[in-house]
Amino acid sequence: MTVLFAVVIALAAVSALGVVLSRQTIYSALSLVLTVSMLAVLFLLLNAQFLFAVQLIIYAGAVVVLFVFIVALLSPDAEDRPTLDLRAVIGIAGVIVVTALVFIAARNGITYNTNGFHATAVGSASDPYHTFKFPQDAVNNAGNVQTVAGQLFTNYLLPFEITSMLLLVAAIGAVYLTRRSSR
Amino acid sequence: MLNPNLFPYLLGLAAFLFTVGAMGVLIRRNPIVVFMCIELMLNAGNVALVAYGRFLNSEEGQIFAFMVIVVAAAEVVVGLALITQIFRLGRELDVDDLSEMKE
Repeated sequence: MTVLFAVVIALAAVSALGVVLSRQTIYSALSLVLTVSMLAVLFLLLNAQFLFAVQLIIYAGAVVVLFVFIVALLSPDAEDRPTLDLRAVIGIAGVIVVTALVFIAARNGITYNTNGFHATAVGSASDPYHTFKFPQDAVNNAGNVQTVAGQLFTNYLLPFEITSMLLLVAAIGAVYLTRRSSR
Repeated sequence: MLNPNLFPYLLGLAAFLFTVGAMGVLIRRNPIVVFMCIELMLNAGNVALVAYGRFLNSEEGQIFAFMVIVVAAAEVVVGLALITQIFRLGRELDVDDLSEMKE
């Protein structure tokens, strides 16, 4: 299990670097496929089965295909290889410093109290009206799609509906932007 | 039960993906790659949300990550429509040349 986590985390990090450092845009897109697939596996390992499916369907299936389609349509030129100037050095240093700081903070329990494992009952803080009660370990049992759906369609119904409005607005906006202009 | 020592690595991965994406947005000039880097940053946020939700015994992380995925999909649709439109106007695909959004 831990080995699987290590492999997935390493592959996600390396392919993320590939997205940024590839000269050809199509290689960036293919690296992005690997990144989002590895993150889908990570979600599965973290017991987020619903997000695993959503990640594969929406990201690997729709978003990256859209990217590849646009790359094939526009066929942009390869960029020059980024030179190791002051800007790049500062960027690399920023990546290392921020990652190390977050890692050290999480390791020392600053971001999150390790005594809090299993301490909060599911739905206690999130559900002040006691409309939805789950057993203590329901979330951690294999397959919590039902509990996620229960929360999504009761406590978070309004945000869920607003995202559908957002998708509609995005679709209309894309059609408006790409129409043949008549002027 | 998941090993609690994994949590710093997951959060470190999220920070790494986010900073790499931010660097890509700042350094790369191709707008398509810039959009990919924005996707990378949103994914990093998702990793942190799911990890926190897993270790705090809550589904809210997953629900919010789902919202983030929807927003990312909407953003990519509008962004790529803009890029094709810029390309149709005969402009070069370079974000440094697109400093003004007129016409």
